[in-house]
Amino acid sequence: MKKTLTVTEMALRELARRRTVLVILLVLPLAFYLARRGDHLGQSIRFVCLGLGWAQSTAALFAGSAARSIEPRLRLSGYRSRHLVLGRLIALWTVGLLLSLPYFVLIRLDQDDVRFGAIALIMGLTAAVAAPFGLALAAVLPRELEGTLVLIIVIGLQMVVDPANGASRALPFWFSREIGTYAIDHTDAGYLTRGLVHGLICAVVFLAVVAAGSSIRLRRRGHLRFVPPSPAR
Amino acid sequence: MNQDVWLAALARELHRRGVDPDLAQHVLASAAAHLRDSGEPPGAVFDPPAAYAPAAAGSLDRGRPPGRAAGAVRLEVRGVTKRYGRRLVLNGVNLTVRSGEVAAVIGANGCGKSTLLRICAGLASPDRGTVRVHGTLGYCPQDGGTVDLLTPDDHFVLIGAGRGMARPAARRLGRAYAARLDWTDIDQSLARELSGGTRQKLNLVMAELGDPDVLLLDEPYQGFDRGSYVDFWREVWRWRDAGKAIVVVTHLLSHPDRVDAVLDLTPAPAVAA
Repeated sequence: MKKTLTVTEMALRELARRRTVLVILLVLPLAFYLARRGDHLGQSIRFVCLGLGWAQSTAALFAGSAARSIEPRLRLSGYRSRHLVLGRLIALWTVGLLLSLPYFVLIRLDQDDVRFGAIALIMGLTAAVAAPFGLALAAVLPRELEGTLVLIIVIGLQMVVDPANGASRALPFWFSREIGTYAIDHTDAGYLTRGLVHGLICAVVFLAVVAAGSSIRLRRRGHLRFVPPSPAR
Repeated sequence: MNQDVWLAALARELHRRGVDPDLAQHVLASAAAHLRDSGEPPGAVFDPPAAYAPAAAGSLDRGRPPGRAAGAVRLEVRGVTKRYGRRLVLNGVNLTVRSGEVAAVIGANGCGKSTLLRICAGLASPDRGTVRVHGTLGYCPQDGGTVDLLTPDDHFVLIGAGRGMARPAARRLGRAYAARLDWTDIDQSLARELSGGTRQKLNLVMAELGDPDVLLLDEPYQGFDRGSYVDFWREVWRWRDAGKAIVVVTHLLSHPDRVDAVLDLTPAPAVAA
């Protein structure tokens, strides 16, 4: 666990030193919130949750890309790929939850007649999904620009596609719209259940992609064998 | 003095000093390759032939320094072949490095020196061949290998944790190793704020942390000033005396350094001496 937590600590230190990026990540969901604050309070909640997903996915994408050059070296230095993946995920999940907290307080103070427990659930699931989603993109698309473009496409689609459309369930933050409907429009628990299942499945799938990608990229190659050293002389 | 004249003068100097003809041919081929890669006149790259000849011949002397005994095998590279597309980069490369030995990998740009080290470190796969490492491995890449937004102490702690070291010990050892490379003013600067040479020192210290049995160093002295370069080689001798097996990718022939083995990956060019 010490190795995992050391990776977590260093990942948090890295993120904390990207002050400008942190400010942008913090403000981005606010822009989403304010954009619909005037005409439809419920939509502003849905949008802020998507904004949080976008911000956290982007942070994870860049963290994953930045780690690519050091991870092989860490693997050689005694880390296993699970230490590296889990350590980075814990850091990103922590940042995601910290990022969500002020927005939960904002909604709590700004909105009435909303199921706040469901809003908290959306934010928790968003953190759970966004981190492995961004890392999975970084694993599959080594160049940051490509990953960023895919993120823009995904979030853009997430905003414009009708959640009732079956194909929209293929999008990673569909659960956010579904649970959001439950929280804002007080629909039946079916929305909550479907959203919860979708979010958990997305989290598991992205975690599997990240774990598999890392295991393959950082695998011990077949041509190399380590044997115990014999006495030097 | 143009390249042909300089090489001819070098050939005469080597002959005058009684250097074995095969060895002389090797020196000439490597010097020619280096000149071709650099694109600079010989006077800008090498010392005058009279000064360079003894240094270069000495560097290629495969004899061990007096009083040293061969140690146990630490690194065995057997039949490593690697292609990039249709280009054959490494063709059946063999290398054995024992405890207390320094091996230099030399050759023209693009001849596969870094690829060989990455294969030895398990960071790339060969098309054929095997590598056996007896013990633990430290690797210093040619570039990268550090994190822009971490301090040197963070790097020491990070690598140290992987090697099972406690945090204070990792910091203390990292700073001690850095001091041997004449890097003592370690503060809270981030890696991206370090000069190129200092960043390479950080890379070297990271490779050394945890006391690995085999050290793979890929041109680790890029950006070093003259003093740091001397410190680096002093460290290499110290590691060798401590029983480590060291592989250094280097433009060896431009430096008067003694190594125990040389692996030249340059495809032999025809050189008129």
